Amino acid sequence: MSKEALVEVKNLKTYFYTEEGVVKAVDGVDYEIYPGETLGIVGESGCGKSVTSLSIMRLVESPPGRIEAGEINFKGTDLTKLSEKEMRKIRGNDISMIFQEPMTSLNPVYTVGDQIIEAIMLHKQVKRKEARRQAIEMLQKVGIPLPEQRVDEYPHQLSGGMRQRVMIAMALSCDPQLLIADEPTTALDVTIQAQILELMNSLKESYGMAIMMITHDLGVIAEVSDRVAVMYAGKVVEYTDVDTLFDDPKHPYTWGLMNSIPKLDKDVDRLEAIPGSVPSPLNFPEGCKFNTRCPLAEGKCFDVEPPLEDTDGGHMVRCWRYEHLEEIKKRGERIYEDRGVQK
Amino acid sequence: MAENLLEVKNLKKYFPVKAGIFKRTVAHVKAVDDISFVVEEGETLGLVGESGCGKSTTGRTILRLLEATAGEVIFEGKNVMDLDKKEMRAIRRDMQIIFQDPYASLNPRMTVADIVGEPLDIHNLAKNKKERNEKVREILENVGLGAEYMNRYPHEFSGGQRQRIGVARALAVDPKLIIADEPVSALDVSVQAQVVNLLQDLQKEYGLTYLFIAHDLSVVKHISDRVAVMYLGKLVELTDKKELFDNPMHPYTQSLLSAIPEADPKKKKDRIILEGDVPSPVDPPSGCRFHPRCPKAFEPCPVKEPEFKEYGDGHYAACHLLDQ
Repeated sequence: MSKEALVEVKNLKTYFYTEEGVVKAVDGVDYEIYPGETLGIVGESGCGKSVTSLSIMRLVESPPGRIEAGEINFKGTDLTKLSEKEMRKIRGNDISMIFQEPMTSLNPVYTVGDQIIEAIMLHKQVKRKEARRQAIEMLQKVGIPLPEQRVDEYPHQLSGGMRQRVMIAMALSCDPQLLIADEPTTALDVTIQAQILELMNSLKESYGMAIMMITHDLGVIAEVSDRVAVMYAGKVVEYTDVDTLFDDPKHPYTWGLMNSIPKLDKDVDRLEAIPGSVPSPLNFPEGCKFNTRCPLAEGKCFDVEPPLEDTDGGHMVRCWRYEHLEEIKKRGERIYEDRGVQK
Repeated sequence: MAENLLEVKNLKKYFPVKAGIFKRTVAHVKAVDDISFVVEEGETLGLVGESGCGKSTTGRTILRLLEATAGEVIFEGKNVMDLDKKEMRAIRRDMQIIFQDPYASLNPRMTVADIVGEPLDIHNLAKNKKERNEKVREILENVGLGAEYMNRYPHEFSGGQRQRIGVARALAVDPKLIIADEPVSALDVSVQAQVVNLLQDLQKEYGLTYLFIAHDLSVVKHISDRVAVMYLGKLVELTDKKELFDNPMHPYTQSLLSAIPEADPKKKKDRIILEGDVPSPVDPPSGCRFHPRCPKAFEPCPVKEPEFKEYGDGHYAACHLLDQ
């Protein structure tokens, strides 16, 4: 891509120093986010997808956490080098974030209006009256009915979907260039999830901001992303545009994820389940971190960690044996077979 | 046609809402409000709905983990609601439940052997310790856990393995019906598939009947033979899964199906986005409970409650539009 990246994450490493040992939550992650696009980050619990976003916001609790190495360049400034004071100017202003559980991210003793007004007055030079007017306008933009009335209500008076709308209103109140959304719809029902995703897509267009969408749900990824990074055990294992990823997943993990979810339009007798579970971050295996669960792993996979390589035209894959997977896919075979009931 | 293993007739479960210093009952949460369905022997009936629709309460009321407000639950010809404590204990051998949260549903102070062995003790299914251990070992192997795990505690297992322990505990007494209450929703995607496959294998192996309660329609579609859709304490549609997904009759089912994000970026769905949220079950809307959100609501909907009835070949629905 010729456009200049809005955010460029280079070799980011965020470690947590715990009593049991060093948890390498994010262990050498690279990606870019371009203006106006949505980058999807998908992975299972513990893969480091949330910690990458917290690192960008510099919200990793320290101690025990620490950004160990790497750069996070936001419009040419390395965020890892900024002081807390400088970072505060960026947080909530240029980069905003919404979280999975809107109830715990809203303060229960203040009205939603107060909380949005606080964000506006913190970053914009406006009087309270003007901030309140803007807050009401934002609530209206995110589709909250009767915003003049809702602005004086407390979070507990709103439903889960409405709370998430308030979070979005607050996040967008200062026209951020990047919105980080960490599992924004996971706690919501599907009909409400559909409302929120539609809202985010339309706001993205009208605001021209970039979105980093973190989720475990490939359906959500397919719905909103332009490009996708698949994470496993603290690393990006596959990175490409959304159509290519779903057409031609090259990493065995991505392939497994896609085939382990039942499809609405296709019936299969048996799902392809990836065996085992994610290894503990205290005790990652040698070599490729997926080798404990990968049916294609052999020799080199157990000794040397594969690099994230460009396979063709920007389709990046971290796997020694992706060509082997291609052959299996061409033959139309499954790669994951579980043992089933043992008798 | 297969026999009905379970018949639920006009089941109601209301929870009182108490307020004031005298804790007077001021209202009721009508969690389950007059639902009827049957589960045939050997089938999987999926029960789907959004949070608060009463699907879990239905499962628990059937097992009498919650006492029903009204209605009958007939299991193999016997009304479960009439049984006394002793008879109830005996019948629970045939009806077991698997819970959503594998972390909360296993006692952290018990070893796996004791967790799986406890139902054997309660129902006197093992003559002595040796036989009990033998049985536990066999059950654990059937759910894909090796005998080496027998003396470990729940915290030593991953989420997927814990759910396997929950399945093993339910299986220990050789039940006929298993009520699976969101058994995979707390698990990671890759592990979900393992548990879904396991449940299917066990069903074939032991001829089990499942009532599979979940909010995830794609999982329900994969595992079920027939599917019932719930909304605010009522059944709105029930039919076999192919019919439900190909030809949903109720507007709620239609919007629910269209709301699921599919893992295919090229597919642009014609989405029916529902307005608003699920109303409170304390004070449900009049007439059809779905009418305030229904894109197709017309005159009778706010006034008259639609009847849940059959519209051709086992396809049940409750909607005024269908009578037009």
